[in-house]
Amino acid sequence: MEIWRLPISASQRGKLISAGYTSLSSLSSISSSDLARELKVSESEAMNILKVASHSRGSETSNASCSIVEGAQSAWDMLHDEESLMHITTSSADLDNILGGGIHCKEVTEIGGVPGIGKTQLGIQVAVNVQIPNDFGGLGGKAIYIDTEGSFMVERAFQIAEACIEDMSEYNRFLRKDFQECKIKMLPQDILENIFYFRICSYTEQIALINYLDKFLSEHKDVKVIVVDSVTFHFRQDFDDMALRTRVLSGMALKLMNLAKRFSLAVVLLNQVTTKHTEASFQLALALVTVLDLCSVTMLSR
Amino acid sequence: MTPQSLLQLTSQKCTTGCPILDRLLYGGIPCDSITEIVAESGSGKTQICLQLSLHAQLPVSHGGLAASSLYLHTEFPFPFRRLHQLCLSFRSSNAHHFPVNDNPCDRIFVQSVHTADHLLEIMSKTDPFIENSKNQVPVRLIVIDSIAALFRSDFDNTPVELKRRSSLFFKISSKLKALAKRFNLAVLVTNQVVDLVGPNEGINGLRIGNLVCLHTSGRRVCPALGLAWANCVNSRLFLSRNEEVIREENEKSNGQSCDFVKKKMRKLYVVFAPHLPESSCEFEITREGLFGVER
Repeated sequence: MEIWRLPISASQRGKLISAGYTSLSSLSSISSSDLARELKVSESEAMNILKVASHSRGSETSNASCSIVEGAQSAWDMLHDEESLMHITTSSADLDNILGGGIHCKEVTEIGGVPGIGKTQLGIQVAVNVQIPNDFGGLGGKAIYIDTEGSFMVERAFQIAEACIEDMSEYNRFLRKDFQECKIKMLPQDILENIFYFRICSYTEQIALINYLDKFLSEHKDVKVIVVDSVTFHFRQDFDDMALRTRVLSGMALKLMNLAKRFSLAVVLLNQVTTKHTEASFQLALALVTVLDLCSVTMLSR
Repeated sequence: MTPQSLLQLTSQKCTTGCPILDRLLYGGIPCDSITEIVAESGSGKTQICLQLSLHAQLPVSHGGLAASSLYLHTEFPFPFRRLHQLCLSFRSSNAHHFPVNDNPCDRIFVQSVHTADHLLEIMSKTDPFIENSKNQVPVRLIVIDSIAALFRSDFDNTPVELKRRSSLFFKISSKLKALAKRFNLAVLVTNQVVDLVGPNEGINGLRIGNLVCLHTSGRRVCPALGLAWANCVNSRLFLSRNEEVIREENEKSNGQSCDFVKKKMRKLYVVFAPHLPESSCEFEITREGLFGVER
């Protein structure tokens, strides 16, 4: 419901928009005195505007569940939403079980492990599996792969894509039960084409790219997963200003969470591990974990 | 910022000079990536590096990169005589690719490196150097032999120094990867090993970071420079050598008899790589170079 649909005078509308109020929900939690101050109008005018706004809102959302604060959702609705969201399978039933069905959309998942354990492989697998069509229980979406280390090998991605297609045709055969060779129309080349691959070489490029993703995602609405491999590599050098590093990293993490929620996609961050010196012992810990305070975190170990 | 098209991205590889090793590595050492060779001293790391510097000069149709190489060495002296020996056999087996008076050694640029900061300095000068080399035979291979020597003596064992050491690793690796991407270079780095004494828990478990255990000369070892450096390389290869007692059948005049002979068994393992499965193969070092052995 937009401001321009409200039955108020043009000058009032203009003042609302220039003050930054472009939607009805933004008027829901402001008091009339604050609004009067912001718009530089009298308090009675502000009260009038709010009354008109709540009236329009009320008539429109009469069948929705009532909420105390506009824009809030009941926990029941959230549970329902979450259950209806699709997951991206990791091609391993055990791993899917641990993750609660697979990689969740609208969430940021961080996966860490020592070098050589299979983080990049998992990243490529997820970028391929997100493309599994809806008929086979997948999301049928595209993937963005951000490579900061140069460990993405096209030939390996091609192998994984081929195996995925083979899996799908076997599943198809199974379903049909008539043992006919059912041709899947997808080719490994098509799968590779649907992975948007970005290679970045410095932390400034990384930040610039994450800022750019907003625009990219609004142009490519079918992207359903962003894989960043690995997210902390460029930040582990010596920074002259450590506070800057902290700010930059937390800003980046926040942006990624926002992207995940806004565009309903999954974000997978692959991270390295480092040794943590506690009082008397050493432990393996995810790199820069205090800065990247995120959602579900998984550690891979042999 | 536009995404790269994956279908046009092909990873070029540099042949090692032996078809058996190439088969293990799915073509050779990949470009635009850092490959690390870990081994104890005397296992053949420098041999592979020299061999690769020569074979990088082969034309692309024969698996090479048609390129010259930059060899940064940290251990002295540089094995000039061995390089010359390898060069002669390389020339004789690949005579049709090179003109008569040509010396492949001319296309290997050798530079000695003393400290980690010296390495960073050299790398900042490498950019224009490689840019200029595009006019003659472009540089497409950088070898650092060995990276461990730069770090093993300059740093104390305090947390502050170790942290400084770690951030140097990431700085060097980041610069190398940027160079590799910009000029499509293959980077080969060699590393040493440290011994693992005691059980697999505690500090030992941490050092190997729940990775596979490596064995050479009957000892349990792990690569030097720790977990931080392991995060900086893309692929890791391990060379092991063991003395094995083999029963050899000998035909003698008074019938057959067996001799127990000590043989040096050398193996090349793929520890981790994004495009290779875990595999291994046996090899031997001869006057002509390092070659895989098919058994």
